Amino acid sequence: MTEKSRRIAAFYLMISPWFIIFVTLGLFPLLYGLYLSFTNYYGFNMNNLKMIGWHNYDLVFSDSDAMYALGRTLYFTAINVPLGTALALGLAILLNRSIRGGGVYRTIFYLPSLVPVISTILMWKIMFSGNGGILNAILNVFGIDAVNWLGYDHATTSLIIMTLWGAGGGILINLAGLKGIPKDLYEAASIDGAGAFQNFRRITLPLMTPIIFFNVLMGIIGSLQVYLQPILLNGSELLARPIQPNYLYVVHAFQQIFASQRFAYGMALLWVLFVVILALSIVVFLTSKYWVYYETDRER
Amino acid sequence: MQARGAMRFTIGNLIIYALILLCSVIFLFPMYLSLVNSLSAWYTLPTIVPSSFHFENFKFATTLIDFWTFARNSLILCGISLVTSTITSGLVGYAFARIEVPGRGFLFMIILSTMMLPGIVTQIPTYILFYKIGFINTYWPWILGGIGGNAFFIFLYRQFFSAIPKEMEEAARIDGCSIFRTYWNIFLPLSFPVVATVAILNFQGAWGDVITPFMFLKPEHYPLATALSIISYTASGTKQIITQVSIAAGILFMIPVVLTFFLGQRFIVEGIVTTGVKG
Repeated sequence: MTEKSRRIAAFYLMISPWFIIFVTLGLFPLLYGLYLSFTNYYGFNMNNLKMIGWHNYDLVFSDSDAMYALGRTLYFTAINVPLGTALALGLAILLNRSIRGGGVYRTIFYLPSLVPVISTILMWKIMFSGNGGILNAILNVFGIDAVNWLGYDHATTSLIIMTLWGAGGGILINLAGLKGIPKDLYEAASIDGAGAFQNFRRITLPLMTPIIFFNVLMGIIGSLQVYLQPILLNGSELLARPIQPNYLYVVHAFQQIFASQRFAYGMALLWVLFVVILALSIVVFLTSKYWVYYETDRER
Repeated sequence: MQARGAMRFTIGNLIIYALILLCSVIFLFPMYLSLVNSLSAWYTLPTIVPSSFHFENFKFATTLIDFWTFARNSLILCGISLVTSTITSGLVGYAFARIEVPGRGFLFMIILSTMMLPGIVTQIPTYILFYKIGFINTYWPWILGGIGGNAFFIFLYRQFFSAIPKEMEEAARIDGCSIFRTYWNIFLPLSFPVVATVAILNFQGAWGDVITPFMFLKPEHYPLATALSIISYTASGTKQIITQVSIAAGILFMIPVVLTFFLGQRFIVEGIVTTGVKG
């Protein structure tokens, strides 16, 4: 064997575990799910599937529960992603100052993002609980009336607060980005008499846009798929229906599939979500050339 | 910069310290609170200040349900995915970092794009397929999923291996080392930081996973994550959830995750901060 073919053989041998599993347990199920979404599969008729065309997709768009859930999910995403991204960036900027004990604070901000969902929910249930809940006790000190945090009016706010508590997961990537900004830019700016706000506005923010872009993209993809937190925040079993405002899209798909055995319809629901995620990602990519700063631009 | 920093020490830094302290308090508060309430008497209302210390709540957390059986199930699942995924992700990452072949860039783009694929869209059809093959209530989903590696881990490995100087493998090749031996004897011993990072992230992911076991396993094989999300702590004969014991269980459940983070913090932080997201 020549050196080159030896290399090619080694390369493909080494990536084969990933590649085989990717094709069989990634690509194939993806397309298989697409196929099922055009059938009448409901769990017991695997040997007797009928192609029913776009019927399931028509159902999705006339299913008021699905459309309501999609709306709530977009609302949740529209609030959660900007706030989460800003919070992670803000905390990283605070930590990036050479402060004493920086490592300790970094750990404190990062730790909540590590806490498993189950523990997070148990913790926040005490914060949110209605009578005698801790948040209400704190509001009381400031003379604000108690709020039913897990009730109809505030359930989504509570869900967002709980999610933001884990926003520190993004600080590591942000810190990496901040460390990559050349110090001489700030030195030059300070000679020109720039203040802290101008430094942030003209140097930090533009140079951080590639990281912000990444965080926004991943945030959107993640937020649109949230389902465990809303289910468990109000209920105490996986097939429980969350309170109406937290009835998010994947919760609906989950209900259809596991509670009602409507597999084909559930797959149609999930493929609609996939297309929504794809569309939003493309929008973020297309707009990125207007707001994301790439280093290669400067080199040219 | 230094001089300016010193000049503005009094006002600027004071505000920053105040902000950092405030944020720290906010982030730590729910954890403090759950500790306090896990020690309170049964069926009491949540409190901010501890009034009693019922350490036996932690014992009840492990005796009112089959806690240790579920914990053992958790460890089995974690063990499977930790061993398989840490090894194969390393192999794949190495191939992408160090072996130049045509088509490599394209394949790597595919790996990166799978990170953006919504997991739930493939999970459900995989469940249906595994159900048909008879993989339900077996560990095959974890073994196969682990062998497939994980896009993010592959990415971390690739970044790490790319930074190792080329002379290393040239020397090995002159000595007649095969590509696999070069990986095993030269690269792996150098890569403890990235192996530790991947192993820990892997463990934490598998430990907290609620939904995969829910789909593929029977209740008696559920790990803690799934068990705690469907079983409530109640005293015999009642339906009222004992919040204090539930929280104690929640704390016990997060201890391994927090512990592994502190053990590997140095590597995780370094690994992510130095590789960053720039491909």
